Amino acid sequence: MGRKRIVTRESMLGTIVAAFMLFLALSTNFGTVSGLYSMMLDVSPTIVGAIALSLLIFTGNIDISAGTILGFVGFTAAALAKAGYPAVVFMSAGLLVGVLLAGLNGWIIVAFRVPSIVVTLATNMVHIGFYVTFLPNAGWVLNLSRSFTWLGQGRFFGVVPYIFVIALLVAAVTIWIARYTQFGKTLYAVGGNRQAAIYAGIDPDRTVLKVYLLEGLLLGVAGILKATTANRLMPSVFQGREMIFIAAAVVGGVNIMGGSGKLLGAVFGALLVYMLSITMIYMGFQDYFQFALQGVLILVAVFITVTDFTALRRRFAGALARGGP
Amino acid sequence: MTDGANAAAGGEVVLRMEGINKAFPGVQALSNMTLDLRHGEVHAVCGENGAGKSTLMKLITGVYQPDSGTMTLNGERLVVRNPNDAYAKGIAIIFQETSLFPELTILENIFMGHELTRPLPGLGRFARRLDYGSMRTKAGEIFGRLGMALDLEARVTDLSVAVKQMVEIAKALSFDSRILILDEPTAALTSKEVDTLFDTIRRLKAHGVSMLYISHRLDEIFQIADRVTVIRDGEFVSTEQVGRVTRDRLVSWMVGRTLHNLYPKEDVPIGEVVLEARGIRQKGVLDGVDLTLRRGEILGLSGLAGAGRTELALVLCGLSRPDAGEIRVDGQRHAIHSYREAMERGIVYVSEDRQKYGLVVPMTVAENVTLPLLRRISSAFGLVDVGREQEITRSYVESLSIKTPGGDFVVSNLSGGNQQKVSVAKALATEPRILILDEPTRGVDVGAKSEIHRIISDLARQGKAIIMISSDLPEVLGMSDRVLVMKNGRKQGELERGALTQESILHMAL
Repeated sequence: MGRKRIVTRESMLGTIVAAFMLFLALSTNFGTVSGLYSMMLDVSPTIVGAIALSLLIFTGNIDISAGTILGFVGFTAAALAKAGYPAVVFMSAGLLVGVLLAGLNGWIIVAFRVPSIVVTLATNMVHIGFYVTFLPNAGWVLNLSRSFTWLGQGRFFGVVPYIFVIALLVAAVTIWIARYTQFGKTLYAVGGNRQAAIYAGIDPDRTVLKVYLLEGLLLGVAGILKATTANRLMPSVFQGREMIFIAAAVVGGVNIMGGSGKLLGAVFGALLVYMLSITMIYMGFQDYFQFALQGVLILVAVFITVTDFTALRRRFAGALARGGP
Repeated sequence: MTDGANAAAGGEVVLRMEGINKAFPGVQALSNMTLDLRHGEVHAVCGENGAGKSTLMKLITGVYQPDSGTMTLNGERLVVRNPNDAYAKGIAIIFQETSLFPELTILENIFMGHELTRPLPGLGRFARRLDYGSMRTKAGEIFGRLGMALDLEARVTDLSVAVKQMVEIAKALSFDSRILILDEPTAALTSKEVDTLFDTIRRLKAHGVSMLYISHRLDEIFQIADRVTVIRDGEFVSTEQVGRVTRDRLVSWMVGRTLHNLYPKEDVPIGEVVLEARGIRQKGVLDGVDLTLRRGEILGLSGLAGAGRTELALVLCGLSRPDAGEIRVDGQRHAIHSYREAMERGIVYVSEDRQKYGLVVPMTVAENVTLPLLRRISSAFGLVDVGREQEITRSYVESLSIKTPGGDFVVSNLSGGNQQKVSVAKALATEPRILILDEPTRGVDVGAKSEIHRIISDLARQGKAIIMISSDLPEVLGMSDRVLVMKNGRKQGELERGALTQESILHMAL
């Protein structure tokens, strides 16, 4: 035995994404260079963010403050760039801010044994308050020059954005980490069966702390990728982003209860969520209706991931045989 | 009576325990315990529920530390600080499935925490990556030794219990364990799967693995074990070669204690049949059980854990649905679809796990007792009549001698025995005619225990019909008018009060 599974969830997802792309290319201006460019630009930070959140979700945790962390990252990088610091400095600073804020979340979760959803919901609110109250100009940074935007607006061969390439690189590295390192396995273990993980010699608290730090680093990357695409930084752009990351992860097959899922799936999920939103734009749906549809998408995706179809089938078969439930 | 396949495994002693004592608050779990395990043998450990078997295993695997006494491994002093340490020393215990990761593959499960790695090309000493190739080879070799071929990429959650157990065994072997402890391994297996497991055990023997096999099932012990040790009440009773001992001998060793005749059971006139169950079947759990219960009777329900007693009780009180069978209450056939319906017919169930199912622990005594009566003590607008609540609570606190400073005392602060009484009061508050009590004195101190027995006896005198599920043999013998013994989901036998002895019950249960 040991046959390789060709029809995996990820390959199915990949096929759906490809089919969707074909459909869009044929029916809209998606197929043009500018359409593709838009996609690559928009989807890059989402890919990195979806991966960041997926790593957390593997361990059975979540981060509702991811969006606001992005905001702080973006602001730090932009403000320092405006003040004249070189790229190395403002980018490192951005990454550091991501690591610190996410690390803080992780520390509170582990030290106080509070569920991550509660902690990050609270820090999310704290972030919003701090952002508007304490940052100069309520966090807005205007008139950013080339010294900042070269990363986000640059392209290879005039077509492929730098940030897209970076996003794919990040994806490749993290996928490798998840599959080929012991650290990767411990993530799934802690989320899959915490007690068994302890018996296997894994320290769940250390693992959770480490994964939040990693999430912070990745959010730092995502924040910089997003911020450098424009010459002005507005806080609203980041708020609520974590929902898209989570939607992408869940649609990509990451089990929201933890313990299973693939990062490659999250990447495809990011693409799928993006394509769904432009489809809705093309069909003229209102902004908020898109929200609703994304919500439905998440519900369906979670249902498919979490439901034990064999058991369900058996129960229905039983009920039918008995002539009704 | 024994099968010639267990030639005494010779060989040196690999694990020895001498003079081991372990006490917990209120109970001496093990006293002066001795055990020795020889190389390549299957050594069965036998004893009733609560005899100390699992404490013994927890000492060997580092979950607990002994209070005194010594353990030696291959002649050298053995101290096991924690479960990981046990693995490192070559000792592994096979649980049923709790220590596997359901969403991960067999391969990942086997090597979790101790994966094989190889260095990254170029980076050498600084970074290592997982080496799936060598892990697959090693896993393949382990399964080869066990005589099975499995798809290593299969997810554990898709596997049957028997296969999961094999994965657990493979996991233990991946640590190069030389000592394996199997704790009731056949509890959830079909007879065919048991045969496969025994094959595996024989192979392991041939490879020099020494095994401790904990089980109640005497038939299996005679089939697979070389020697057997009997424990009773935390003490060592005897170790003997399986070929030199009989079933009867084992049973008498397990039981041999004197009975106290302190059970306050009065003789009560037994009336008409109030509850009848015929042919109750539930897939995998109950295999056609019949039961009759009369007014004023206390029917003891005996049998080993897993025999189906609680499952039967759940069916009788509407908490679970049988696949087949009928229940008659007062001669009338009723399909009981929910616990609410059962209560309306006068049937109540008091769970064995009072913390989980019996009580709402953060609520007060009064709130708990009147919980099933809320509708009856509330006005039309849903307001609870506090006066009635207090009155009802007071009367039960008195009649059951519940030691609590008041009805407004939170249940979590009461002792186990008093919590149990609140549980019973809750059941009585609905004025039932039939009570099903599941392990009513589990975890209750001696004083409260006899008070609860007095209460049960009183209830029978009042004409209620009682089914008492209990693993405590003296309790069953002291309190029951009749005893129904269950085994493997079936009614194995029935005994009248006059014919009740511990041996006769155990004989049927095992």
